[in-house]
Amino acid sequence: MSRDEIPPGTLYLLILKTLALRGRLHGFEIADSIQRNSDEILQVEEGSLYPALQRMLIKGWVTAEWGTTAGNRRARYYTLTSDGRKQLAIELSQFERVIGAITRIIQIA
Amino acid sequence: MGYPAEILRRLSMIFHRRQFDRDLQEEMRLHLDLRQQQQVDLGLAPAAARRAAHLKFGNTTRIQEKSRMTWGWESLESLLRDATYGMRAMLRSPALTLVALLSLALGIGANTAIFSLLDAVMLRSLPVKDPHQLVLLGTGDWNGISDGFAITDAYSYPFYRQLQQKNAVFSSTAAIFSMLNEVHGFVLTSSGESRTDSQPINVQLVSGTYFLTLGVEAQRGRVFTDDDNSEGDHPVAVVSNAWWKRSLGSDPNVLDRKLKLGDTVFTIVGVAPPEFFGTKVGEAPDIWVPMSMMKSVPPYWEGYKDNFSVAHLVFGRLKPGITTQQATANVNLLFQQILRGFPDAKLNEENLRKLAKNHVHLTPMATGLSDLRGQFSEPLQILMAVVALVLLIACANIANLLLARSTARARELAVRQALGARRGRIIRQLLTESLLLALAGGALGIGLASVANRLLLHMVSGGQDNIPLDVSLNIRLLLFTLAVTMATALIFGTIPAFRATRLQLTDTLKSGRTPQGAGARSPLARILVISQVALSLVLMIAAGLFLRSLINLTNIDTGFNKENVLRLKIDFSSAGYKNDDPRQIALYNTITERVSALPGVKAASFSSFTFHEGSWNGGITVPGMPVNHEIDVKHNIVQAGYFATMQIPLIAGRGFDPTDTSTSQRVAIVSEHMAKTLFPNGQALGRCYHIGDPKSPYEQLVIGVARDVKFDDLTESPEDIDYLPFFQGNCCLNSFEVRYTGNFATISAAVQQTIHSIDRALPISGITTLDDEVARSITNQRLVAQLSIFFGLLAVFLSSIGIYGLMSYVVSRRTNEIGIRMALGAARSNVRSLILREIALLVAIGIVIGIPVALISNRYVTHMLYGLRGTDPFSFAAATFVLLIVALLAGYIPAHRASRVDPMVALRYE
Repeated sequence: MSRDEIPPGTLYLLILKTLALRGRLHGFEIADSIQRNSDEILQVEEGSLYPALQRMLIKGWVTAEWGTTAGNRRARYYTLTSDGRKQLAIELSQFERVIGAITRIIQIA
Repeated sequence: MGYPAEILRRLSMIFHRRQFDRDLQEEMRLHLDLRQQQQVDLGLAPAAARRAAHLKFGNTTRIQEKSRMTWGWESLESLLRDATYGMRAMLRSPALTLVALLSLALGIGANTAIFSLLDAVMLRSLPVKDPHQLVLLGTGDWNGISDGFAITDAYSYPFYRQLQQKNAVFSSTAAIFSMLNEVHGFVLTSSGESRTDSQPINVQLVSGTYFLTLGVEAQRGRVFTDDDNSEGDHPVAVVSNAWWKRSLGSDPNVLDRKLKLGDTVFTIVGVAPPEFFGTKVGEAPDIWVPMSMMKSVPPYWEGYKDNFSVAHLVFGRLKPGITTQQATANVNLLFQQILRGFPDAKLNEENLRKLAKNHVHLTPMATGLSDLRGQFSEPLQILMAVVALVLLIACANIANLLLARSTARARELAVRQALGARRGRIIRQLLTESLLLALAGGALGIGLASVANRLLLHMVSGGQDNIPLDVSLNIRLLLFTLAVTMATALIFGTIPAFRATRLQLTDTLKSGRTPQGAGARSPLARILVISQVALSLVLMIAAGLFLRSLINLTNIDTGFNKENVLRLKIDFSSAGYKNDDPRQIALYNTITERVSALPGVKAASFSSFTFHEGSWNGGITVPGMPVNHEIDVKHNIVQAGYFATMQIPLIAGRGFDPTDTSTSQRVAIVSEHMAKTLFPNGQALGRCYHIGDPKSPYEQLVIGVARDVKFDDLTESPEDIDYLPFFQGNCCLNSFEVRYTGNFATISAAVQQTIHSIDRALPISGITTLDDEVARSITNQRLVAQLSIFFGLLAVFLSSIGIYGLMSYVVSRRTNEIGIRMALGAARSNVRSLILREIALLVAIGIVIGIPVALISNRYVTHMLYGLRGTDPFSFAAATFVLLIVALLAGYIPAHRASRVDPMVALRYE
């Protein structure tokens, strides 16, 4: 059951969208959510999740705060900021543009 | 778009590094635990679940590093890490580090100190507005008054005024009187009295437009305007900031204060800004006074309205868009026009020829005028080369040091490379260490330089009051030091760094040694030591040459006896005596008589000049000899006792005696050279000649011939000098000489007391001995000799350290071999000579290389030497000898150590 790697650069898009959908999540939940929502096709390299989250913190697309999980463990919860929402829109339109172009090319019989 | 916030966030990371690391670790731990729990829920055993979780997650360490890197401080952090590591490494071998730091500090400090002097004298622009727009008419090499025609380095004041009005290329022009008036004046209180004795004040006469042309504004009050040009009725002065602080105690009411110079009271109307010192580097006038007051300031020069009293330097600010060529053309046109237009111009054949031949050259004045520059620019450049070489030698030492250290660290570096460190990364770390060493050395060097600066300035000033040069540290200097420091770091750090990382990993890890054994470091190290020896030789030879040249100069026979003569100056004009004042003439006689009567005084006399004090010269006409306009005779007006005081023998005729009065036949004594060359048949005794204009009614009868003496400087060829009795001349007798026996201080005090007992108000200054005066005339040669010897010896010392270091290393590497040799029967002396032979070879190669280099480089300094050439074999031999002795001594210690090695210990030595 090999899972496909996600295309490079789309990790941010996936994280942003996941946070937009689900609101307040911690790192494991984000990874899990992406995996489940993709019907287990997309395998997020969990190593790349955390550096990506750090970068998004620096850029101001998410904010983080410490909270407690259901299992009474301390976890860092990430939420989308307004800048993050803007970034999501930008990334989405960019992604759609690229996919649209690729689709057009491969549809030429 | 949120960049400032982003930057702030990035910055906060630096302070919260550890917290950040802990947070991330906790996050990742949680993630792993949750994943593990998930796998267990799916049915795996806990151990397997854990493994699966880790596999899915990835390399935690790497993820942590990547996360940290996104914050962008990686390079800075690694730099800091390298620096701390480097510092720890340096502290581990304190002796080596100390030696390295000292050599660096000396090298960098010396460079900075010499450069600061060079900068102050040659490079720095005047602190005025847009200095590059200023141009000077002529070369600026002019220091006096002349009545010559068509002179292009200086001009008369009326000439300047016409130039000012008629030129088309300058937005503003100004004139400066080419000599500084050394006046003894009185600072008056607000009630108009003087509470203290007269004090020396240096007065610079300038045209009204001086400050305006320079674009300098007063920090208080006003500067001169063109109105201040009307003659005699503007007794105003602008004071310098330094003088205001020093003599007026920064009085806030300075604009109400007055000064008395001679008979005239001057009002202070302004204070110059703090950084402004004037237009001549090395001279800082205390006050500026309008040229129109020339006749009121002692010594009461009279040439303000004289069309042909050529004494002023003229400069101007070019109009925007005007090139130097255009300006030169315009100025030369006006030069011809104005000179011809003067009603009293003597347009004879000779003068017209001069007018056609002489052209005015415009020279840039951005760096100001300077007498110092001409005197010191070459010595300073040579010294700069010397200290640069010393720094190179120091760098070679440090390179060797670092090579040695990196050889010792070979194993450590091999381990790091085997673990995956990139070669470039290690090189970067080694370079950071070198940079750290260089920066530490540079900081120490700056400290040294600020002390050395003052010492240098004292040496340049030749033992008198310090020349007003600003050699303190400034931005340009610090940047220079920084550049030198970086360069040294690169020079001595790069090669060892590259060498150290070029390792055969397996071999090094096994044996802790590079495979080539003793040879690996040595070729480079040997090359460095050889080049050190060669450079040291070059420097020592140069030092030897300069020293011998200086000794030759000090042994020159001046013609007069310079020992045991006190000389001082009395400023009669400041005390109210004008020229030709009969009281002044009486004073001369009284003073001389009374002083001659003092115990310990053998003779005393007034004169215009003694040695290296300037001159009053002009042409003479000798009947029976062809007219020669090139004749330039130096006139010295003296009292009768001059020849006895200076012990100048008369080789023919007689000296001045009481039969020569102000009404008898005018007489003169001429120098040997003058007699031989300017008089028919070389016989001057009994002949007459005219001074200056052949139509002048005054004829001098030659009554004696004196031996040739040096007049201006020690290396001059015999000059034409004539001596005129003071009561038959009219000029200023500036100097008073006293030949004495006994203690200088006692005599000096007694003489001054005597003078003051005759007239209390006479200002006395410039108290010195003739010996010092002569010594001062060769200040720059002395400077070069002293410093080149110091740096030459320093270079040899540094090289010997290098030799010692290399030899110690070689010995330690060959200990095993030495042990075997000794076990096989070699005597201790054999071992010693084995090592010494190596040293001798190195030094010999160094000397062989150094000698031709010295021959080539000496060609550049030959013209500065006196009495010997750049190939002087004695200097070469002496320098080689010194170097050999020192080098062999330095190498002897390790050699001796090698011979004392216990064979049993050596054999086991790894």
